[in-house]
Amino acid sequence: MSDCRLVTEQLTSYVDEQLDATPRDALEQHLDGCVSCRRAVARERGGQTVLRQHAQHLREEPLPPGLKSRCESLVHEHARAASLPGWRRTLVPTVLSVILLVFTASAIFSLATRQSDAVLAAQLTADHSKCFKLFVGGNPPVMDAHEVEEMLTREYGWKIHVPPSVDGLQLVGARRCLYADGLVPHVMYRAANGQDLSLYVLNGVTRTPSDLVTFGHRSQIWTKNNTTFVLVGPADESGRLVDATRYMMKEADR
Amino acid sequence: MFGRRQRAAPDTFSNEVLGYLEPLYATAMRLTRNRADAEDLVQDTMVRALRFRDRFEPGTNLRAWLYTILHNTWRNRIRDTAREATDVDSERIEELASTADGPAEVETPEQVLIRSTMDADLKEALDGLPDAFRQAVWLRDVEEFSYAEIAKMLDVPIGTVMSRISRGRRQLYEKLTQAKTDAQIHVSR
Repeated sequence: MSDCRLVTEQLTSYVDEQLDATPRDALEQHLDGCVSCRRAVARERGGQTVLRQHAQHLREEPLPPGLKSRCESLVHEHARAASLPGWRRTLVPTVLSVILLVFTASAIFSLATRQSDAVLAAQLTADHSKCFKLFVGGNPPVMDAHEVEEMLTREYGWKIHVPPSVDGLQLVGARRCLYADGLVPHVMYRAANGQDLSLYVLNGVTRTPSDLVTFGHRSQIWTKNNTTFVLVGPADESGRLVDATRYMMKEADR
Repeated sequence: MFGRRQRAAPDTFSNEVLGYLEPLYATAMRLTRNRADAEDLVQDTMVRALRFRDRFEPGTNLRAWLYTILHNTWRNRIRDTAREATDVDSERIEELASTADGPAEVETPEQVLIRSTMDADLKEALDGLPDAFRQAVWLRDVEEFSYAEIAKMLDVPIGTVMSRISRGRRQLYEKLTQAKTDAQIHVSR
């Protein structure tokens, strides 16, 4: 092996001062007579030093608003689940795992049967349950519809109409979610009775209107102007939720 | 058989995990280069850390464990969305890098570079590195993890980690010196 090759292999250890005395002395002896390897050392040391000098500032990335409180909610939610009796504590992750498994299996299944509304409803119902469980929590702040629309455009390039909060129905979040045919905007609402509603907007997708019940949730699917809307909510609707559902269906495809 | 499993006191573990939120987010930002993705990634990391807390061995490095979860989660997500496929092709990256790493005849003195580099320039130069190199230099020089810890986080051999650190540092240096040379030419015109 040539000396230059040896230097290349030991360069990082040398710059990090982690080489033992014997190989270090041999390497330095080579550097004395090799301009090319001295340049390589200078470049690597330059990159290392700049990063280390700025490391503290680089680590100080300001947290986006809400991230800390959402993570704290996750911690509290987890602590609450941990305090449940043993069988219930085991049941919570099991149910979540089953939901995720169904989601994955239905996503794979859907590659072969893209036209199945039942599969689409199953996927989005699983996503609805997962997102509310993991990202919304017990007492979410109410969000402004215009700000959510701007965020979806800015971060993901989506231009959709987000129905604003009304009496009895609050806009509590929006995310980018994955289903079998790609990524989709997921807008989340909480009704006054504590029940959750999700609106998914599938651009460039056409479906025949359907009304399905999957995993204890109702999925209403409709299409307008080459965009399909899916509204996922609880199957056992109270009077207030019927109003909320009507409002969402009227408002979403405006 | 159905006895309660041993686990750390909830508050201590959770508080320690929450204490790493800011550095995790800074790392997620450099991984994803996108605020929304970084935010999702940190939340997913928290969810997994809490769910799998029984797998954490008390007395070992919690920070390294969290960073391993963060990087595993990101790798899975990239695989799921089939984005940035070349990212995991380390052979190709090493190959590309070796052709780009030509001789540098003109060198800016190291100290001038360090003194005059602004955080924003450095972030831009970092974001311009191939993903595999950016991850390696970040974990080594900003987060100060050992080669072995980084190898575990990135799921690659230690030799690959050292090679990526080396290439990453040199490319970063070249980007910064090139940017300064370009700026000087621009000013003198």
